Amino acid sequence: MGEEERGCGWAGHVPLLQSARRGVRGLPRVSQSGGRATGRRVRGLFAPQMPMYKVRPFQGGPGSAVPPEHLPTCMYRLGSVHREPKAGPSPPAEQDEVDPSLQALESRQEEILKRLYELKAAVDSLSKMIQTPDADFDATNIIQADEHVPLTASSADLDNLLGKDYSALKDIVINANPSHPPLSLLVLHSLLCESYKVLSAVHTHSSVKSVPENLLKCFGDQAKKQSRHEYQLGFTLIWKDVSKPQMKFRIQTMCPIEGEGNIARFLFSLLGQKHNAVTATLIDSWVDTAIFQLQDGSSKEKAAVLRSMNAALGKASWLVGNELTLADIVAWCAIQTTGSTNSVPSNVQNWMKSCENLAPFNSVLKLLK
Amino acid sequence: MPGVAARKNQERKRENAMEQPAADDYAKERYGVLPLIQSQDKPDRVLVRVKDLTGEKADEVVWVRGRVHTSRAKGKQCFLVLRQQQFNVQALVAVGDHASKQMVKFAAKESPQQKPISQDDQSPWNELILLPSPCFHGINKESIVDIEGVVRKVPHKIGGCTQQDVELHVQRIYVISLAEPRLPLQLDDAIRPEVDGEEEGRATVNQDTRLDNRVIDLRTCTSQAVFRLQSGICQLFRETLIQKGFVEIQTPKIISAASEGGANVFTVSYFKSNAYLAQSPQLYKQMCICADFDKVFCIGPVFRAEDSNTHRHLTEFVGLDIEMAFNYHYHEVVDEIADTMVQIFKGLQERFQTEIQTVSKQFPCEPFKFLEPTLRLEFPEALAMLREAGVEMGDEDDLSTPSEKLLGRLVKEKYDTDFYILDKYPLAVRPFYTMPDPKNPKTSNSYDMFMRGEEILSGAQRVHDPQLLTERAMHHGIDLEKIKAYIDSFRFGAPPHAGGGIGLERVTMLYLGLSNVRQTSMFPRDPKRLTP
Repeated sequence: MGEEERGCGWAGHVPLLQSARRGVRGLPRVSQSGGRATGRRVRGLFAPQMPMYKVRPFQGGPGSAVPPEHLPTCMYRLGSVHREPKAGPSPPAEQDEVDPSLQALESRQEEILKRLYELKAAVDSLSKMIQTPDADFDATNIIQADEHVPLTASSADLDNLLGKDYSALKDIVINANPSHPPLSLLVLHSLLCESYKVLSAVHTHSSVKSVPENLLKCFGDQAKKQSRHEYQLGFTLIWKDVSKPQMKFRIQTMCPIEGEGNIARFLFSLLGQKHNAVTATLIDSWVDTAIFQLQDGSSKEKAAVLRSMNAALGKASWLVGNELTLADIVAWCAIQTTGSTNSVPSNVQNWMKSCENLAPFNSVLKLLK
Repeated sequence: MPGVAARKNQERKRENAMEQPAADDYAKERYGVLPLIQSQDKPDRVLVRVKDLTGEKADEVVWVRGRVHTSRAKGKQCFLVLRQQQFNVQALVAVGDHASKQMVKFAAKESPQQKPISQDDQSPWNELILLPSPCFHGINKESIVDIEGVVRKVPHKIGGCTQQDVELHVQRIYVISLAEPRLPLQLDDAIRPEVDGEEEGRATVNQDTRLDNRVIDLRTCTSQAVFRLQSGICQLFRETLIQKGFVEIQTPKIISAASEGGANVFTVSYFKSNAYLAQSPQLYKQMCICADFDKVFCIGPVFRAEDSNTHRHLTEFVGLDIEMAFNYHYHEVVDEIADTMVQIFKGLQERFQTEIQTVSKQFPCEPFKFLEPTLRLEFPEALAMLREAGVEMGDEDDLSTPSEKLLGRLVKEKYDTDFYILDKYPLAVRPFYTMPDPKNPKTSNSYDMFMRGEEILSGAQRVHDPQLLTERAMHHGIDLEKIKAYIDSFRFGAPPHAGGGIGLERVTMLYLGLSNVRQTSMFPRDPKRLTP
C-alpha cells in the first residue's frame, strides 16, 4: 500500500515524502484501535458464557469446585488455603531450604561488592601514585620504550586513533575566531593533508559579520570532486565568535577540546609520531610555554622564552630532539602571531628559516601576507 | 435583576449630576467623538508615526493617530497607552490649561471590561452598550483616536512602552472609531509570555480563541512582528533569486486529475466534471525548464488534503518553489538554493532585528544560527551520528520525525548550526522521478534541508530522460497511463535539472523558533478550520 501511495504522489515531491512518513507515524494509531477492538471482543465473549439467571450446581463433580476454565480470567487465582500445608508447620528445615534464586542473588551481590572493593583499592593505589610519583612508580620502562616513528601513518592508524565511524566521514570541527587565526592548526592541517585524504571545508558562522578573504581561502581552492565518504578525514574550520579555539569531534563520547595548544596536541597525535615520556613531556612543556608566555604573555616573558629557545636551538636544530615536532610548530606560529619576527636571537632566526622552508609553514606564511 | 437595574439608574443619575457643570467645561472643544469620516475634507494636519516619537521631537506639538491600548485614571490625571502596530507611547491627560476634569473623565474610561467577565456580568453589560451616548463612558480600549499633544522627555524610562524616553502631554483628543466595550480577548493576555510555573495564574489566550478572533489577535505586537518578518522572507526570496537570474513564474492551481495522481488532493467541481487543487507546482516548474527558462521560481498557494492535525501541517500553505537547469552536477542547484536561504537569513538578521526581538519577548528562543557556505552532510554520516547516539535504523530507512529532531540536535551540538543540508538519501525512500546515484544504485541525487531539526525543503535531481523515467515509474508500480503527460514533456529534449519546494509558514515558524505553524499563517487552514 505504501508503494501505491508513493506512486500516486508523483507530481509533488514534498507531499510524497510527507505522506510516506505519515504512514509510519499512523501505524501506532492503527494498532491502538486494533487493541481496543480485541478488548471489546473479549468482553463480548464472556457474555454468552455467563447467562444471567442460569446458575450451575453449587456442588458439582466429585472433589472439585467450579471448574477453573469457567472462572473469569480477569481475576487472580489463589491456591486453596487448606490444601498442602507444605512449608507451614515445619520451620526447622528453614536454613537448608532457602530459595535458590535468592541464593543466586545473594552470591551475585557478594561478587559485585567484591569487585567494587577491588576497584576501590585500584583507584586508591593509583591516586597514591599520582600524589607521590617517586614513591613506588618505576618510570624506567616508559622512558626506555623509545621508538622513533617518522611522520607517516595509514588509514588503519586513523581508525585506531579515532575509532571506527560506521564507514562515514570522520569530521573534525574546529571553531576559531577570525581575529586570532590559530596558525598552528593550519600548519597541522597541511601536515595532515600530506598523510591522509582530507576533506577540508571553511565555513563562516552567523555570529561573525565578516571574515577576511584570505582566511576564507586558507585551505586553498577546494576541488570537491569526490563524494564525502571517500575521504579519510574531514577538517571543518568554522570562523566563529569564540574566545578561544574549540574543537569538536565525537560529541557523544568526547567533550570539546579548548585552546589552540590542546587542539594542536590532538591533531599532532593523528600524525602517528610516537615519543617516549621524556620527549613527550618536553614537547608538552614547549607547547605550553609557546602558547601562554610567547603568544599571550607580557613582553618580559616573551623575551625570556626567546632567550631559552635560543639556548635550546644552539645545541640542536629543532627544539626537541632531531626532528620536527609539535613544539616547533606551535612556537613558530606563536612568534608569527606576535609579529616580532625580526627581533629574535640568531639561533631562533636560523631555526625559523628552516621551518619556513617546509611547505606547510610556507603556506601559512603566504596567508599572513 | 431589579436590584441591578436600580443600581444602574442610580449610577446614571450620578453621572448626569456630574455632567451638570458641563457649562463651565472650558475644554469642551478639545475632546469628543468626531463624526464618521466620509472623506468630507482634506485637512493639512500631519500625523506623526508613534515609532518616530523620540527624544529628538521633544517639546514639539504633534498629532498622532493610534489605538488606545490601555487607559488608567489616577486622580486628576489619566494615563493612556497609545499603540500603533508594534510601537506604543504613553500619553498623559492632566487637568490643567488644556484639559478639564470632564476631559480627563472622557479619556479615563472606568473600563468595566478590565474586570474579569463572568456569566453574571452579562446582563448589565448589554445595558451598558445600549446607553445613549458612548462619550459618557469614555473611550473604550482598542478605539482609534487622534491626539494632539506635546512631546516631553521623561526623567525615568517608561518600562511598558516601546518609546521609553518620551511621553505625550495631551491637548486634544478625538475619537475616530469607537471599539465595543467588550473585547473577545485582551491584548495584554495575548502577548503574555507563557511562563512554565503559571505561578501568578494570569490569563493567557488559547489558540482557538486567537484564531477565531484573528483580527484582534493580529493586532498584538507579536503577530505584527511575525507577519512583517514573513513578508520579509518573501521579499528576500524574490530579491535574491532575481539577482541570481531566476524568472518568477505563475502556475495554475486548478488542474486536471490526470496529472496529480490523487492520494491527497482536493477535488473541486469544474463545470460538468471535476478538477483538483494543485499539490505542488512541480510539473509546471519542470515544463518551464523544458521550455528553456533555465532558472524559475514561484510563490503561490499549495493544497494538501491530508487529514493530519500536527503542529506543522496545513491544508493550504504558501510554497516557495525553485527549479533550475544545471550543467553537470546537481550540487550546482543545491549550492544555489542553500545560498538563497543563507541570504534570506542574513537579510532577516539585518533588516528585521526589531521584529525578531519583539517576538522573542513573548516566545523566547535562541537566535537562529547558520553557516556560510551551508553545511552539507551525507545520509551515511547522519546515520553514523544517529547510531552513535543509539538509534537503530537500517541503511535504507527514511528518517522518522523523532530521528530528524535528534539529528538536528546532534548537528547543532557539533557544528552549531540550525540550518543544514542532508544529501544522498536512499533511493528507496524517494519518489520515482528522483535521479538515482550513478555510483551507488541504492542512493539517489536527492536532498532535504532542515531548520532547527525540522525538514523545510525536500528536493532532488529529476529524471529528465523519458526512457529512465518510464523504467523508474514501472519499478514503483505506477500506472503509466496516468503519468503519460508528465513523461511526454521530456520527449523533445530536456536539460538536466533539479529543484525543491519550501513552505513559507514553516520557514517563518522555525526561524523564530515558534511551536505551531498556525502562528505564522495569517488565516490558517487545517482539517478542522475553514474560517475566518
